[in-house]
Amino acid sequence: MTDPVLEVRNLHLSFGALKATDDVSLTLCPGEIHALIGPNGAGKSTLIGLIAGNLAPDAGQVLLNGRDVTAQDVAARAQAGLARSFQVSAVAPGLSVLQNVALAVQGARGGSFRLFRRALSDRALTGAAMTQIDRVGLTARRTVPAGDLAHGERRRLELAMALAQAPRAFVLDEPMAGMGPDGAREMTTLLDELRHEAPILLVEHDMDAVFRLADRISVLVSGRIIASGTVAQIRANPEVQTAYLGEERLE
Amino acid sequence: MRRETLLNLVIALALLAVPLAAQALDEPFAITLATKVAILALAGVGLNIALGLGGMVSLGHAAFFGIGGYMMAVLATPVQAYEPLMTWPIELAGTKSMPLIWLGAVVAGAVGALAIGALSLRTSGVYFIMITLAFGQMLYYFAISWPAYGGEDGIAIYVRNGFPGLNTLDPLHFFALAYAVLLAALWLAHRLGGSPFGLALAGARQAPARVAALGIRPYRLKLAAFVLSGAVTALAGALYADLNRFVSPSMLSWHTSGEIMVLVILGGVGRLFGPVAGAALFILLEHFLGGISEYWQLFLGLILLGIVLFARGGLIGTLAGREVPHD
Ligand SMILES: Nc1ncnc2c1ncn2[C@@H]1O[C@H](COP(=O)(O)OP(=O)(O)OP(=O)(O)O)[C@@H](O)[C@H]1O
Ligand SMILES: [Mg+2]
Repeated sequence: MTDPVLEVRNLHLSFGALKATDDVSLTLCPGEIHALIGPNGAGKSTLIGLIAGNLAPDAGQVLLNGRDVTAQDVAARAQAGLARSFQVSAVAPGLSVLQNVALAVQGARGGSFRLFRRALSDRALTGAAMTQIDRVGLTARRTVPAGDLAHGERRRLELAMALAQAPRAFVLDEPMAGMGPDGAREMTTLLDELRHEAPILLVEHDMDAVFRLADRISVLVSGRIIASGTVAQIRANPEVQTAYLGEERLE
Repeated sequence: MRRETLLNLVIALALLAVPLAAQALDEPFAITLATKVAILALAGVGLNIALGLGGMVSLGHAAFFGIGGYMMAVLATPVQAYEPLMTWPIELAGTKSMPLIWLGAVVAGAVGALAIGALSLRTSGVYFIMITLAFGQMLYYFAISWPAYGGEDGIAIYVRNGFPGLNTLDPLHFFALAYAVLLAALWLAHRLGGSPFGLALAGARQAPARVAALGIRPYRLKLAAFVLSGAVTALAGALYADLNRFVSPSMLSWHTSGEIMVLVILGGVGRLFGPVAGAALFILLEHFLGGISEYWQLFLGLILLGIVLFARGGLIGTLAGREVPHD
């Protein structure tokens, strides 16, 4: 087996008495989609925060490409190849779609301290940005301020920004939340292609999408991973069914 | 042409037309008022780099305005006293040359902003406002207790400093200088806004968590913007001191910070010509309302309240509509 791109080892984090992350270990290997599922408040977003560097663990390590990045800040981890999306869209509302994605390209390539060049007349910058905008289907909306986008469009912009970082690993927090069936289906197709660019750690509540996409699924309940395995294994796991999925959702 | 570009052009031409008309009508005072507008606008352009581009609500920009003013006094007073500026470690003469004084003011303003910004930017929100205010007040009290430059009374510079090829004592010549510097600063602010730096700064202002997740650290970007902002405002301070041929601690007081802030808000925060429109409105109000009632600031307050409540883009926003992203 190839070495994992992203590895989390025995992570712990408590908010006061609440163990939000309780001895979590997982890996993300090249070419795979590893889904992380669990009920509301299970600690999924907290785990993403720990991986991305927004939160510091009480104990444990985060490794990117085999290097320990636990002590590094968010920006350093991004530069090391980690791209994340946010559960609640975090795009710059006053900037256009193109500018938001150009910013992502700029973050990956550097050059944010160039004071006098015109950002959007830089062909390399806009070219790379437009490629991703085309991919997520926002071409016609490129000059629209991100704040004016519909919800589903904003989710796609989030994804285009992550893509534009040309990352080694994606960590996506509910990319399909509130998208509606058509949007979710398009997004599923898109994510399916993405795994060849970089592996995806996918937090998602849409079980249809998870079962279609995931190579592996880990189930997080109350901060602990209670089960991990293939789609078939997770579907068949009785502990998972009682703890989370519920009989009716599995047919 | 975009509506805002057109409006900006009209404002720029109007500011140029006033002193030319005043010259023709032999009204030198109007030229002085226009010069004051240009200089305060310049200070506002400086503040707008921090406030509009970087989202940094600095209530301490009087510090940089005053640093520029005092830099002028420090360089020019030795000349009028027939003394060297310093004798140790090297002997250095003062100067009455505006380009050198401007250079001194810009460097001093940048250094001051680097020091104040590096500390203040570790805080945010209301703490940032308070700490910039506190730094400004520190410099104010320092100037009051600095006897070499007149302490509380300030110090007069008897002859306006010179500029090669111009007679700076001629109000129109001095206006032309202030106007040219203002245009240069506006060009700088415009280029900054459309540059990769401006893009990253706008991102850091609007979505800081996202920008960090893209691998960009907001702190250094903001600090760089704060330094540029302080340098431009200091340049305005040097010109203002030359306009009045007088420097006093009031340049450093928080009233001055407030006035610069007010004129930017009047004109439109983050709008390129906001400070110009705001400074013009401010001076007009001061001149005409001030002539009617000594409580003119009360009316200013009411207008400000109206703008904050009903016209958030200030004058420019009201006339040119919502801001559109740079193309
Ligand atoms: N900063 C914080 N301080 C205190 N408690 C927190 C903090 N962040 C999260 N929590 C708590 O930690 C638990 C895990 O929250 P988290 O957001 O990680 O859940 P989640 O699995 O992402 O849920 P959802 O599916 O609703 O997004 C919750 O009980 C939440 O209230
Ligand atoms: Mg969550």
